[in-house]
Amino acid sequence: MAKHDEVTDVNFKMDMRALDQGIPIIELEGEVDVYTAPQLKQQVIGVLESGARELVIDLTKVDYLDSTALGVLIGGLKRMREVDGNVTLVCPGPRIRRVFEITGLDKIFDIYNTQEDAQEAIGKES
Amino acid sequence: MANSVCPTCVELKIPCLPEFVGVARLAILGVASRMKFSYDEVEDIRLAVGEACTISVEWAERNGEKDSGITLRSEIDSEKLTVDIFDNAGPRNTGNSGQQVEQEPENLGALLITLLVDEVSVEASDGGTHVRMVKYAGQR
Repeated sequence: MAKHDEVTDVNFKMDMRALDQGIPIIELEGEVDVYTAPQLKQQVIGVLESGARELVIDLTKVDYLDSTALGVLIGGLKRMREVDGNVTLVCPGPRIRRVFEITGLDKIFDIYNTQEDAQEAIGKES
Repeated sequence: MANSVCPTCVELKIPCLPEFVGVARLAILGVASRMKFSYDEVEDIRLAVGEACTISVEWAERNGEKDSGITLRSEIDSEKLTVDIFDNAGPRNTGNSGQQVEQEPENLGALLITLLVDEVSVEASDGGTHVRMVKYAGQR
């Protein structure tokens, strides 16, 4: 039986786990678009409803990200900020990073190259 | 003119549904790769076409036109790639007398398209919308 917190598609994979300090992390792989973004949205809502105040979303293995995915990330960030929380992104790839840069969203999100860097930054804030 | 065979055109018809947007992206990736575009420019075209199809899919859902389709037509030229995207997903009435809500993914998608290609035009056409995008090769 498939694990409840793991979703796999041919072009999309989503894995949810916790980092050392118990911070939830969603690791995405493949294409996050109009077809797959609703699954990410459900996962993000689940994290918000669990009462978490920090969320890391790892886009390292994402090779395509569209406006629908950006909409989910912005929605999650908005709701987290409302409760003084934050959504931190891990995105080392220049291709996906560029989507954030051209839309100006790189100024709104905290984006790091590695999970370790993201974790360290969250640790310093709290 | 419309019915004559275009020797440098590639046409694709897909259902106006989320799971088929990836098919349109793959097709345009193949077409753009045949031209003198840089790797980044090919990616820009792929994203722009994906966004245009996504907007069609969102309108089809909103208008209850789930049986509608998208026709993607691309014309290769030595200097530019022209992509026409036709849907019959119904009218794009935003309500609120044309006032669009900020931050909707659809608006983000439209913004992305304008940032990624050199020319964009959007017009109502035959029960849907016609989007034309032009990207010039060798701009950088």
